[in-house]
Amino acid sequence: MIQAQKVSYRSKEVHIINDIDFECNSGEFVAILGPNGAGKSTFLSLLANELHQKGNKILLKSCDYNQWCEKELPKHKAKFSQHNNSDIPLNVEDVVMMGRYPYFDHIPSEEDKKAIQYSMECIDICPLQNREYNHLSGGEKQRVHLARVLSQLNNNVENKLLFLDEPLNNLDVLHQHKILELIKDFTIKGNTAIVVIHDLNLAAQFADKILLLEKGKKVCYDTPQKVLTQDTLSKVYNFPCIVTTNPVNNNPLIIFGK
Amino acid sequence: MQKKLSFYLISLLLFLIVLAVASIFIGVYQFEEGSLKTISKILSGNEDINPSDYYVFFDVRLPRVLMAILIGSGLAVSGTCLQGMFKNPLASPDLIGITAGSVLFAAITIVLGSYVKAVVPEIIHFSLLSIMSFIGAMITMSFVYKISSTNAKTNVGVLLLAGVAITALSGATTGLLTYLSDDEELRNLTFWTLGSLAGATWTKVGILTAVIITSVVLLINKGKSLNAMMLGERDASHLGIPVENIKRRIVLLSALMVGASVAFTGTIGFVGLIVPYILRLVFKSNYYYILPLSAVCGSILLLGADTISRTIVPPSEIPIGILTSIMGAPVFIAILIRFKKSI
Repeated sequence: MIQAQKVSYRSKEVHIINDIDFECNSGEFVAILGPNGAGKSTFLSLLANELHQKGNKILLKSCDYNQWCEKELPKHKAKFSQHNNSDIPLNVEDVVMMGRYPYFDHIPSEEDKKAIQYSMECIDICPLQNREYNHLSGGEKQRVHLARVLSQLNNNVENKLLFLDEPLNNLDVLHQHKILELIKDFTIKGNTAIVVIHDLNLAAQFADKILLLEKGKKVCYDTPQKVLTQDTLSKVYNFPCIVTTNPVNNNPLIIFGK
Repeated sequence: MQKKLSFYLISLLLFLIVLAVASIFIGVYQFEEGSLKTISKILSGNEDINPSDYYVFFDVRLPRVLMAILIGSGLAVSGTCLQGMFKNPLASPDLIGITAGSVLFAAITIVLGSYVKAVVPEIIHFSLLSIMSFIGAMITMSFVYKISSTNAKTNVGVLLLAGVAITALSGATTGLLTYLSDDEELRNLTFWTLGSLAGATWTKVGILTAVIITSVVLLINKGKSLNAMMLGERDASHLGIPVENIKRRIVLLSALMVGASVAFTGTIGFVGLIVPYILRLVFKSNYYYILPLSAVCGSILLLGADTISRTIVPPSEIPIGILTSIMGAPVFIAILIRFKKSI
């Protein structure tokens, strides 16, 4: 699905990302974890073709990003960014419709309207659709952008790729789970999601694989059971923790503190 | 969505045509046979029109009306595009100093032009002024963009202060040049600083038609892209919008339109600020609507203002730049009050 070899990123002589190899297959839910400043968002931006550095080689579906047609690419991959503009003087519906911009020139088709309606239902923002975006709360704005990104990938293309940079910020528990379940459904259909996340327990519950980063380097990349161990976590996060088994779903359960 | 847009466009265009016809027949000179009869005569190709009627119709008022339509449209479209690019309702060519930069180069050309003309080929003499004002607009545009943008974000304070600095520089240089200039150059300079459509000729209309129609056509369908750019430039490129390409196009074509307008009519301020502001009151910031509509509304505004400017104090006329500034300043203040939180 996506392959990256020896990816690095340097800004003003500071190595933010150092020689990371990464690969994932279609149908996988990959979570990127790590403490602050580990380079999670930067790595995601590099994978998503937002940041570039000479010498990096990243292949999406075995093709370099340069070889992709600019018009086709948005139908195969989408990204949800951590810092969304909070000042967009438009209605919610118009903002979600931007996700369909790759599909129409001037007039949105019935299909586009259905697609945004469907993703707004999934994300629970239908009651907001005629409100002004600028009047919403932080969490609601976040959900508007999630709906926009989802509607962007609502098509017949197989093996799509979705990047999400901390999608759960500002969201309440209900919506956190709802969105992770949506992403899970998305990956079960053969698509891939790469998600930067802070909550280790949610990652343990939903992710198929976990990439753990520390100071721009890869610590390990494997299934949650193998990555989320007491030793690794307390070393990387520099904080004591206990890992047990979640009594409800048998996933690893991490409890921080002495 | 589409139906509504074409409805608004067509009704505004009809209004513009009516206004244009009315404007031809309003003025100090009254047509001998009344307006309706003159129109029917001209339309039917009747030869026996009174020669002074003919002259006023074809050589004075018609080119002037066309020039108002073209320049109004060009200034409004460049204002709207710049606001989209800088993501700010205050970014209009006059406030960020592009008009001033263009005037600066035009003023230098007027006063020092006689020295330059000796060394450049004759073909360029005629368009020297327009080329120089375009270069002035282009240089200031790139300068302002460079210093106000870091990491694809615009610092609005820096943007507007850069405008203030360039306007001050341009004002000082124009002041200095007035001392150096002779009588005719002085008259030209004054005309530049106040702005007027009185010098309309068919040649100017021809050049403006080429420049402004091309630029407007190349920009007018970018509404969707400007909408997407409100998300941020990175998110826009995830939607397949060629952001760098569009920004380059806006910079180049806006400079071209502002440069051409300044070369032929001097400083006509605030059109690029007033028109998008009014449209935003109705359509929010949906560039899909306001970009094409601003092309027509700009024409309506400038044609209306020009008609007023040449009829309000007969038999003389007041410079149109004064009128647009009178309208523009309250709009400027209204924007400050309305957007003070986000600026």
